[in-house]
Amino acid sequence: MLRLDDIDLIYNAGRVDEVVALRSLSVTFERGQFVTVVGTNGAGKSSLIQTISGAARPTRGRVHLDGRDVTRLPDHRRAGWIARVFDDPRAGTAPELSIEDNLALAMARGRRRGLRFAVTARRRAVMREHVAGLGLGLENRLADRVGLLSAGQRQSLTMVMAALSAPSVLLLDEHLAALDPGTTATVLALTTELVRELGATTVMVTHNMDHALALGDRLLVMSRGRVIADYDGTEKSEMTVGGLIDRITGAGDALSDRSALIEKVAS
Amino acid sequence: MIQVLLDMLVTGLPLVPVFLGIYTVFRLRADFDLTVEGSFVTGGAVCALTLVHGWPSWLALLAGTAGAAAAGAVTALIHLLLRVPVLLAGLVMSIGLFSVNLHVLDTPTLSLGTQGTLFSGFGSLSGRQADLATSGVMAGVVAVVLVAFGLFLRTELGLALRATGVNARMARSQGVNDRRLTVLALVLANGLAGLGASLSVQYQGYADVNMGAGTFVAGVGAVLLGELFVRPSGSKLLRIVGCVLVGTLAYRLVLVGALRVGLPAGDLRGVTALTLLVAIAAERYLGALGGLARTLAHTTRSASAAVRQEAA
Repeated sequence: MLRLDDIDLIYNAGRVDEVVALRSLSVTFERGQFVTVVGTNGAGKSSLIQTISGAARPTRGRVHLDGRDVTRLPDHRRAGWIARVFDDPRAGTAPELSIEDNLALAMARGRRRGLRFAVTARRRAVMREHVAGLGLGLENRLADRVGLLSAGQRQSLTMVMAALSAPSVLLLDEHLAALDPGTTATVLALTTELVRELGATTVMVTHNMDHALALGDRLLVMSRGRVIADYDGTEKSEMTVGGLIDRITGAGDALSDRSALIEKVAS
Repeated sequence: MIQVLLDMLVTGLPLVPVFLGIYTVFRLRADFDLTVEGSFVTGGAVCALTLVHGWPSWLALLAGTAGAAAAGAVTALIHLLLRVPVLLAGLVMSIGLFSVNLHVLDTPTLSLGTQGTLFSGFGSLSGRQADLATSGVMAGVVAVVLVAFGLFLRTELGLALRATGVNARMARSQGVNDRRLTVLALVLANGLAGLGASLSVQYQGYADVNMGAGTFVAGVGAVLLGELFVRPSGSKLLRIVGCVLVGTLAYRLVLVGALRVGLPAGDLRGVTALTLLVAIAAERYLGALGGLARTLAHTTRSASAAVRQEAA
């Protein structure tokens, strides 16, 4: 179970250029839950991801993972439990390194790195098996530089890397945003398959309302650093894209609109 | 001609570990560490001092390595504690180390005499044979260093080090502590500089407080030169050590050649700078040609692979 407790995330606190990224945010994600998150730019979606991953440390509040307080652990210390796929396909892999080196890096996640060889015959067999599942033929190109791969291939590889160490939380930060429509479909299919296989608590940020509604079993709508709507499976299945967009734009206008929104949700 | 090659080996081989260290920071970490200008001397000075105090030559070699590595650790501390770039931390260190080195040596130039170095056994040999024996011993040390370094890069720790230089955010998200690796890289790079300096000091028979000046630029020049010939990349480890070896020797060959042609020693820095410029220019303008050739080679390879697959 992943619990965010009364989180404030404020940049440049007390200065003129103060930015409130998250405000009194409290959310609990049940184990194995697949949650999609939508909201306008600046709503706090990426800040939510960063707070969970440890890339940003909250100004106030606690982050609990499976009963442990991880608030003070930096991102690399949480990497054993929390895997992350970035929005930029180039961000999740090291382009200068070979496919197998990238995978080996992910395989050692959450363990102490020592003087064992990173790529061994046994590990290579495991890699081949995982990568073969993608159906991209990458299993025969393990020694190739990742920089030679297309954006979609790289994002697929990042997904495989995320899954390699069986994380308990999977964070997908608009991981489909930079892909062309065809590739999006492929990586999307891979996403649903992977989430089902891993059984990890999954938080997926997206700009695509169709994806937000079609995937997962819970939907969060964020605005100005808060969660303004929280739909469970049945509510979500009755929601339409139009309705969802109305709620998001409505919330962005003025504070008073938010209460109207909550009434709407309740009705 | 043979003498030119021998000169290249005896003056160039000690620089191989030094430039390997520079490669580690400059290419693997994509950063600049100027500490090496001072730590090179620190390594040489500690080696000379311990030799004068009667330590065995191998131990003095290790002492020099450790001394320079300590300087790297201080640079890393400055970088992490004061949150300044490695470039600035190294610059401060390279200046400050001058005084430290002078205190260690206690004189601008410390002479070793003829006894007790790795190479003093060769004194009785003729000039050329002594050079041959000297370069043999150096080649042995350098080979051990290169193999050990290559193997280290293949380990999980070495892989993490390579990844942090290419994509630090990704490395962190994969659980790599890049602060720790910064320390490791700086300690390793400067330790290697100290090792090379110790070899150099034992060969020359003296340590000089100014012997480190220009090391960094020379190293970068040698790395660029090596990259022209060998084309290393993050996962091609043989090419990484090969690039440093070839680059260092090519760089020394240019300098030794310049001396042979009759240029005064004072012009050597100018030659170093020119070598650096030529290497950069060649990379810029020949790089396009090389890239084309590589693309062609790659297409041919994948085409033939496709043909093979169809045949199967």
